[in-house]
Amino acid sequence: MNNRLLIINGPGLSDLSNYNETGYDDLTLDAVQQKCSETCEGLGLEMDFRQNDNESELLSVLIEDIDNFDALIINPAGHSQASSIGLDMYSTVINKITNQGKPVVEVRIENIFKQGNNKPLQGPESGVGFVGGLGMHSYVLAIKAINKKLSNN
Amino acid sequence: MNIYVINGPNINLLGTRETEIYGKDTLESITKDCQEQAFKDGHDVKFMQSNYEGEIVEWIQNAITEKIDAIVINAAAYTHTSIAIHDALKSYSGYKVELHISNPHLRESFRHVSYISSVVDAVVAGLGPDGYSHVIDLLLDLPIKVN
Repeated sequence: MNNRLLIINGPGLSDLSNYNETGYDDLTLDAVQQKCSETCEGLGLEMDFRQNDNESELLSVLIEDIDNFDALIINPAGHSQASSIGLDMYSTVINKITNQGKPVVEVRIENIFKQGNNKPLQGPESGVGFVGGLGMHSYVLAIKAINKKLSNN
Repeated sequence: MNIYVINGPNINLLGTRETEIYGKDTLESITKDCQEQAFKDGHDVKFMQSNYEGEIVEWIQNAITEKIDAIVINAAAYTHTSIAIHDALKSYSGYKVELHISNPHLRESFRHVSYISSVVDAVVAGLGPDGYSHVIDLLLDLPIKVN
């Protein structure tokens, strides 16, 4: 079995109404989940889609549960506003996951580089992909990329 | 839909240069993979590569006058240096996707700044050579934007 995908959404993503200004009108997390679910079903991937407003809970989930998954898509949302301790914790977790040979892709609904200081997650050089700025399609593209990587493994 | 896939310096060496980072696919094989299905569906996907900054600027200007629907740009090392490419892209109003085979933000610090990211719609990086076909497939599904 090599088809279990965890999609995890960070703080603030429960309410996407503040993304309207970036051109993604009426987008809801439910709609994103629905789209991801359809995409995964079409590709034969088993999906677990989660959202957590509490960053330390989110990291705990990742640390505890990743052994039950073959790949990770993460939208860390407000992580870049977090403390450097938080950033280190993300890097530690991402390193652990990529060390297991599991593909990781960071997704962003919006193009974070238009807003100035946002930085992508850090991790090992070849382990983490990035897709941002395509609205819910960011997730679709990430799922397809993960599927390709899993089928090549 | 008409798409320009513009590639910058050293991308012509794909498949031979630092294959542990960029993979073993050549630009030719990537081009073939991306064009086959697109042509069948009646789309036009044109791949270009240049080691010269000015030529890349001219292709972007050409995309404006020719009303090309989308640009996928892997400006390679010019990503981190070229204000000229930034300016040209700013004038283009179709879909713009910045693409990188590796993830520049996880590499040397001189690759962490992109002059392109702020003037494109989307950034896709670190998905390997397959990134090209993933991005093109997605663009072909989008409604055509009037530009």
